[in-house]
Amino acid sequence: MTATAYPPRWAEALLRTLLKPGDFESVSGDLLEQYRDSIYPARGRRRADWWYARQVFAFVSPGARFFAALFSAQFLTRTALDWFVPPLDFHTRSTISTALGVGTLLAAGFWAAWRSDSFATGAVAGVVTAGLASVTSIAGAAGMLAIWHDPQAMAAIRGSGGLDEIFCLPFMMVFPGLLLGAGGGVACTALKRLLLMLNQT
Amino acid sequence: MAEILGAFEQAVLLAIFRLGEDAYGRAILKEVQARLEREVAAGAVHATLERLAKKGLVVSRLGPGTPVRSGRARRFYRVQAKGVRALNDSRATVDGLWQGLRWPLRGCV
Repeated sequence: MTATAYPPRWAEALLRTLLKPGDFESVSGDLLEQYRDSIYPARGRRRADWWYARQVFAFVSPGARFFAALFSAQFLTRTALDWFVPPLDFHTRSTISTALGVGTLLAAGFWAAWRSDSFATGAVAGVVTAGLASVTSIAGAAGMLAIWHDPQAMAAIRGSGGLDEIFCLPFMMVFPGLLLGAGGGVACTALKRLLLMLNQT
Repeated sequence: MAEILGAFEQAVLLAIFRLGEDAYGRAILKEVQARLEREVAAGAVHATLERLAKKGLVVSRLGPGTPVRSGRARRFYRVQAKGVRALNDSRATVDGLWQGLRWPLRGCV
């Protein structure tokens, strides 16, 4: 039973996108061996699958955690500024915070693609970064709301887009995260090719 | 100048050294986990092995798979002379830092 057990197909497919082509067979073999040898017999199918998924995400998450923290810090700073120093016109502030968010997701994709030599990793890194950032941003905003909910703060929140924007906007970044991460990955691949061509000439 | 190795890099290099001919990904991971007495992600070991190979401290070759891995190849690692020097230098640096001090340290300064 255990010797024929297979981890989730989607996780193996994701792992393939995260690794250099020459590394997939040996790395996935190592994970499969551990999955069948020790994890599956000790933990059962569901927990073994969860373990496998976490192992796969570990190939992308160390950098994604850093970029997610950066993204959340930007989001919470913007939120705090809107609550406590509301401007007359949000346009300039929105332009700056959007540019910073886009730059962070592009950088996450670029970094992941640089590390793995695969532009697809950039897309995965973008999604993981945006996903992690949305959770921490919402938790941070909820914490801020628990501390500051006096009538003046609530009026400022309504004026800056309301609670819907605070609690929905971060989740809406996951799909753009996919596109921007892929964009960063493509830019990285192009730069690497250019550097290779320059080296050869 | 001596190669400065991080603690995790030393753990991985020493694991390869201990395992000898049997040093492939999963075995290295198990050895590192046993020595450090904690769970370590396969991705962390993989990234470290890649870094060590880029620095020229280890080399690898593909070997045959086994039925439990559905025949997927194993990547075997060997420590190079440069890797051995780096390990010796790292040990000498730590020994130098501790010279004249009695271990374990007691009290506070």
